[in-house]
Amino acid sequence: MLRLLKRNRDLIVVSVLLLYPLATFLARRPAAWEPNILDRAVLALTAPVQRAFIWTFDGARSLWKGYAALRGVRAENLGLREENQRLRSDTNQLAEVRAENDRLRRLLDYAQTSPDPQLAARVLGVNPAATILSLRIDRGESDGLRRGMPVATADGVVGIVQRVTGSFADVVLITDPNSKIAVKVQRSRVRATATGKGENRALHLENALRTEDVQEGDVVVTSGTDGVFPPGLLVGRITSLQRHNYGMVQSADILPAVDMTKLEEVLVIRTRAAPAHVSNPQARRAAETAP
Amino acid sequence: MKFLTTVGLTLLLLTFESVAVKYLGLSVTRIDVTVAVVAFLSLRASTVEGAISSFVVGYLLDLMSGRPTGLYTFLAVLTFLIGRLATSLVDVRSAAVFVIFTMAADLGHGLLAIFFSWLTSRDAAFGSNLSALPLQVALTGLAALLLYPLFRKFDSGAERSEVGLLR
Repeated sequence: MLRLLKRNRDLIVVSVLLLYPLATFLARRPAAWEPNILDRAVLALTAPVQRAFIWTFDGARSLWKGYAALRGVRAENLGLREENQRLRSDTNQLAEVRAENDRLRRLLDYAQTSPDPQLAARVLGVNPAATILSLRIDRGESDGLRRGMPVATADGVVGIVQRVTGSFADVVLITDPNSKIAVKVQRSRVRATATGKGENRALHLENALRTEDVQEGDVVVTSGTDGVFPPGLLVGRITSLQRHNYGMVQSADILPAVDMTKLEEVLVIRTRAAPAHVSNPQARRAAETAP
Repeated sequence: MKFLTTVGLTLLLLTFESVAVKYLGLSVTRIDVTVAVVAFLSLRASTVEGAISSFVVGYLLDLMSGRPTGLYTFLAVLTFLIGRLATSLVDVRSAAVFVIFTMAADLGHGLLAIFFSWLTSRDAAFGSNLSALPLQVALTGLAALLLYPLFRKFDSGAERSEVGLLR
């Protein structure tokens, strides 16, 4: 037996190297996405290199863009942009919260609730694999980030924190084909599911009953029923509605409010009870059965 | 190429690509630098040594993807083994032939990646990923052309015997 193993050692080693990752992939256990010690060590190695590249790119861009005297103005401008983004996000959310509060006050005399705290983060890089749409930000466990926290900008929803390590995190975009979020049409309050299409500029609206009131140009916001995204975050606008004379549901394309190709800074919403990732069966089921 | 050199170079290339794509915009198609590394390994490394290195290269791509599933690790080892088989017919000695070899490897790698992704998630991205593949293969070929001298510099292996059909 031992001799047989020894004789076929190379074959066994190569077979294990080939079949182990295949088995892992086919098993598709979300728990395997949690970084282990080795993953953390390797990721910790890449972070400083990424920062060094960004520093080099930024330095070259700064030199290209302006004189040394303009550097102070640029730094101030960056600070103001960040503040502006935060304020615009607050305004957007407040409008939705106010509308919600008005309804609740009228109906149940509920007290006003405050929005969740947000943390600004800078986009470090984009993942190099073509079939997954995700990006890396410069905030991590040390900043209190946890897997499952929603990420947005002033313009709308960006994605969800998929993996967190020491000083940075990976965010899977809502346009990723595996992403599903619970949404509602702002005008008619119709609930549905927005799924990623794998393209940077498109989402798909699903699970809206054919009899429901959905129109092209309608604004789509998060409904909050998936337990991941807080309600009222802007998702996008309906661009092409497909409603047939048969079937139970209608579908549509959604143009995302955020241009994912130009993201530089994002806001991580630090929800008090960080939900499981959307691939979590319960959250996913909630998103899929939104109406 | 030595194992640690391969790992270090792959990490550096992936990190550089990650930052470069961010600055150029997310819509820019990806360049499969890992396929170029694996293609070079299939030309120079022994089966076990190359399979281990390819495993690590694929693991790094999986890790950098933000959602490691094992798919790219599997595909890297598979691409290496198919590349090893191909080198019994083709002897790659010039940069031009290496570019063609890498582009062929990337085409297979890309098609398999799309197929396996579709197989498990049945998403709507099948068409868009497929249409982006030719540009991805062309850019990977360009990257292979630029990387070939670098790979050769790092590769301290002995010259190979005269075998193969194409030079």
